[in-house]
Amino acid sequence: MSTLRPLVRPSLPPVLRWRAGRALPLVAGLVALVVACPLVFIGLQAGRSGWDSAGRLLERPLVGTLLWHTVSLTAAVTAAALVLGFTAAYLVERTDLPGRRAWTVALAMPLAVPEFVHGYCWVSLIPSVQGYWGAVLVMTSSLYPLVFLPVAATLRHSDAAAEEVARSLGHGRLATLWRVTLPQTRPALAGGALLVSLYLLGEYGAFAMLRFTTFATAIYTEYETAFDTESASILTLVLVALALLVVSLDARAARRGRVVREGTTARPCAPQPLGRWKAPAVAGLAGVVGTTLGVPVYALVYWTMRGNSSTLPSTSILSATAATLGYALGAAAIATAAAVPVALYAWRRATRLARAVERAVYLTRALPGIAVALAVVFFAIRYAQPVYQQPPLLVAGYAMLFFPLALTAVRASLAHVPHGVEDAARSLGVRPLAVLARVTLPLILPGLGAAFAMVALTASTELTATLLLRPTGTETLATQFWIYTTDLAWGAAAPYAAVMTALSIPAVVLLTRRTLGTPRPSKGMR
Amino acid sequence: MSGLSISKLHATHGHTAVLRDLELTVANGALACVLGPSGCGKSTLLRVIAGFHHPVSGTVTVGDRVINDDRTHIPAERRRIGYVPQDGALFPHLTVAANIGFGLPRAERRERVAEMLDLVGLNGLGDRHPHQLSGGQQQRVALARALAPRPELLLLDEPFAALDAALRTELRTEVAATLRRAGATAILVTHDVDEALAFADVIAVMRDGQIVQADAPHTLYHQPADVGVARTLGETNLLPAELADDHAITAFGNLPLTADVPTGDGVVLLRPHQLRLAAASGPHTVEAQVVACAFRGHDYRIELATDTRHDLPERLITYADTAPPEAGTVHLQAHGPAHPIPDAEPAAPAHARLTAQTATA
Amino acid sequence: MSVVALRSAKRSAAVLAAIAASTSVLTGCGSSQATGNSSSASGGSIKGQSITLYSGQHAQTVDALVKDFQSRTGVKVNVRSGDEAELANQLLTEGSASPADVFLAENPPALTTLEQKGLLTKANASTLAAVPSGDSSPKGDWVGVSAREAAFVYNTGKLQAGQTPTSVKDLASSAWKGKLGIAPSETDFAPIVTRVIKAEGEGAAKAWLEGLKANSKVYGSNEDLVAAVNRGEVEGGVIDHYYWYRLRDEQGASGVHSALGYFKQGDPGSLVDVSGAGILSSSKHQAAAQALLAYLTSKPAQQIIANSHSYEYPLAAGVQNTKVDRPLKDVGAVVPASDLGDGKQALQLLQSVGLLS
Repeated sequence: MSTLRPLVRPSLPPVLRWRAGRALPLVAGLVALVVACPLVFIGLQAGRSGWDSAGRLLERPLVGTLLWHTVSLTAAVTAAALVLGFTAAYLVERTDLPGRRAWTVALAMPLAVPEFVHGYCWVSLIPSVQGYWGAVLVMTSSLYPLVFLPVAATLRHSDAAAEEVARSLGHGRLATLWRVTLPQTRPALAGGALLVSLYLLGEYGAFAMLRFTTFATAIYTEYETAFDTESASILTLVLVALALLVVSLDARAARRGRVVREGTTARPCAPQPLGRWKAPAVAGLAGVVGTTLGVPVYALVYWTMRGNSSTLPSTSILSATAATLGYALGAAAIATAAAVPVALYAWRRATRLARAVERAVYLTRALPGIAVALAVVFFAIRYAQPVYQQPPLLVAGYAMLFFPLALTAVRASLAHVPHGVEDAARSLGVRPLAVLARVTLPLILPGLGAAFAMVALTASTELTATLLLRPTGTETLATQFWIYTTDLAWGAAAPYAAVMTALSIPAVVLLTRRTLGTPRPSKGMR
Repeated sequence: MSGLSISKLHATHGHTAVLRDLELTVANGALACVLGPSGCGKSTLLRVIAGFHHPVSGTVTVGDRVINDDRTHIPAERRRIGYVPQDGALFPHLTVAANIGFGLPRAERRERVAEMLDLVGLNGLGDRHPHQLSGGQQQRVALARALAPRPELLLLDEPFAALDAALRTELRTEVAATLRRAGATAILVTHDVDEALAFADVIAVMRDGQIVQADAPHTLYHQPADVGVARTLGETNLLPAELADDHAITAFGNLPLTADVPTGDGVVLLRPHQLRLAAASGPHTVEAQVVACAFRGHDYRIELATDTRHDLPERLITYADTAPPEAGTVHLQAHGPAHPIPDAEPAAPAHARLTAQTATA
Repeated sequence: MSVVALRSAKRSAAVLAAIAASTSVLTGCGSSQATGNSSSASGGSIKGQSITLYSGQHAQTVDALVKDFQSRTGVKVNVRSGDEAELANQLLTEGSASPADVFLAENPPALTTLEQKGLLTKANASTLAAVPSGDSSPKGDWVGVSAREAAFVYNTGKLQAGQTPTSVKDLASSAWKGKLGIAPSETDFAPIVTRVIKAEGEGAAKAWLEGLKANSKVYGSNEDLVAAVNRGEVEGGVIDHYYWYRLRDEQGASGVHSALGYFKQGDPGSLVDVSGAGILSSSKHQAAAQALLAYLTSKPAQQIIANSHSYEYPLAAGVQNTKVDRPLKDVGAVVPASDLGDGKQALQLLQSVGLLS
């Protein structure tokens, strides 16, 4: 054999080789740097304000109340979303619930409902839904899919063996659920909880509608009523500190949570018979779906009925739809592409630095939308003047805002990739970029799809950053909806909300499919 | 295929030194085995050779090609070194044929894949996906995939560890035959002595980031460099002896030595089968009590306790074809050359001395 | 992000009644007025230039105004329509690199903040002269364009026309307990607080606010508030008059269960808010920008405002809004917009009683 010519392809020139080998940490670092821009901006702005005014702001008794509101609400909603998300996932993945596939899509569907539609319809349907418990109810019902989807995916792909062993060891069904099934899903629960709680920290609009004040309320007051960026930034730093706490809690949970290993024979579990619990389970899920989907449907009808006397100029709904789609899809593609190097870097190098970079990126999720948008304005007008208020800037802004969503999805799918495959591929004489294209990316394709869908979904209903970053004269569905509603033209606004929701449906279906997949055959090979 | 030569290799994981001043040479066409306990650095060694781990310093040469030294680090994909990881790491999204053809130029894929399927005996399974194969078949695909681009060197990282015992024996014999047929130079990493002995032309025993001894299996077994190596390769009887040039004076009388040593007190190694049960007491027999006896199919493993006045270790071990009298007294005699174990072995002197001393206590 | 986060607040400040005569009628070209600070503009004619307008105002009205301006002058106007507060923050962040030439705001505080940061440049004297002097910045950095009046909206099923309060101070009395709605996060609420502070002193103003807080249900926006009053969720609340008119348009006659009442002349609650416009000092098209400002205060533009569905009052003399039942002059003499300053004192008071966070 040594006499035979080795079958390897010609190698690249040295310069390209160097790049291919060293590029990943560089690209990952660059992405993290760009995504961390808003944090830098907040820091710079806060730094311009003195200790005195910081003290004046933070020593108000109100700040304590708001902190308590924020923390207690975040804790309650996160806990409720975990319970609801896990229960729903268990019912559709582990029991003989009738119509499980339909339930899965229906349970993920609240993601398709733009969040302001959610908030508004609750308030208009039942005005007494407000304050702390109102906020818990509305936020839980719109955020639980962020827990439901990853947990359902974990349950679908994990091996039945552990649960069977537990039963054989004399544990009842409930004990098995508690001591085996639940711990198996801990990484998924932790990831979902991270997204939910970061979201809650920075959320303002829904709480304003529900007349519940949180720390983000105070930040918006400084921005929008006092036009005081410095004070707003100081308050935002407190939010960042809270987010750091959440992120480090998640890191601890994830460290303890490496319990699922998909075995060579990842057999699906036989569904547990629900027996006499079948009717209550169906009723419960119907209640959840009715609440989360029925309410927005009601809102759309309500708005249409409320009158249609608007005399505002009607920007073509088609052009607004086209603009929305263009920006959302562009942002989805960029955010997903940018998430790959960061996730890959953290996955390949399990170093502390890599993990820190990955986690820092999550902090932006807790920033109020206006802070992120102003950061983009701040940096773009100084360092990227030619694209300022051009389409690329809005796409970049979306990508920054929703990068953590993409990262979560890509990270989750990388966890399923058998570790040695990249090394094996390189040892076969294939260059790193080709390994990426031929092995790694095909293996995480479902995750890329989920990331894409998630970002597209969220970006298509985004408003704050859109208003600040869009090209002058461009209207998206969300801005047009906003223009109408601010002039009380509910009837004229309704079609825009309807189109937004309709556009979101395929994204949710894609997200559900890509996140859950089928029990993929490829999982068998470890 | 070409030989491998490694010198002065240092590698770390973070701040922990994993490989220290490691030296290893594997001849062209040889099947070598790196044997050592878990955590001794053998997988890191393999990953350094493959190009996945950057060493701190040292030189790695394949044939006349330097793939690693202070200035050179040839990336893994240009080393022409095949790699079969422990779990095979087949590409789950590709068929068997696509897995095997992965490292081949498109034009040569079809022909070479058929050739490799034939070589590993998986004809007709090219269209399957990895999850549709048994564990043994998966490992064969991994081997075929690694061999397909005709690497200069093949690295196997405990490739049989995940398989059951019968399959493991069968597959390693088969793989060794396949590799010999292919004329490959290969390095297998394992912690399983039987696997090493059955597979390799040369075994390198690794401990604490160093190769302690590299030799043919027979040499290694009978003439280990130190106590550690001796124990790694199999069960030992370490006897105190008075060394005199070419022979040792022991409780079993004068025994020839495997090598000349300076006169003085020392320790010699006798493998269990070098101790035999004698029919009756004699001048060079030692009386011993049977403590335990286990039938192993092909022989009996017998543990014996000797009288303390012989200054022998607490337990002696022998393998015998026939069962000893139950709980009775037997007489032992020694056969063949004894191997002197150097007292102060530089690799792990403390450890070696300690075990030697406890053995003689 | 939700819609309410971007409160469309039609924020307000007080102005004098619009009685001053507008002497400047914009000519076709408008260049005759565009002389003031124009340095970089193309010598004589501004025709063919393109300027950018950041507008936080009613989109339809601005659209009509811009179209008319473009046809008169040949200056192309790119309108960036958005939330006033966001646009102000955007301008502050953009600083001197801003692509904006003119900022059309809904309320004085945003303009005053930009003025204090030195981001605005003086409007031409003739433009400033077109509207009552109290409706523009005392420094002349921005000019008033339109106005609306604070009013008390009440549910007609729960209150009669004669039962509306005559003074905003009465709203703190326990008689109104549980019956009121307020939207304190809207910036047109703050000027009322400023007026109360000026009239009664800070201590009394604080007590008044606490009483108001105890009586009221808090809403996130004026739109929410006026809709809540109309459906009877609360009996009444303080808003700017045009919210009710826009609600009336949307609901149709059969859906209107509310009406407007006004506070008596001289009361702190009797005030007029101006929407003003200013030119960015960083603008590279000063002449064209001045022309736009001049146009906005000219009779043709003011007539468009008077006829529009934004239901705002024009400020130029001799132009009346016939769609609004009550003429602006009925408000009587009120303090000038400039007296309201940047509203920081009112904000801090609102924060200290917990109506704002």
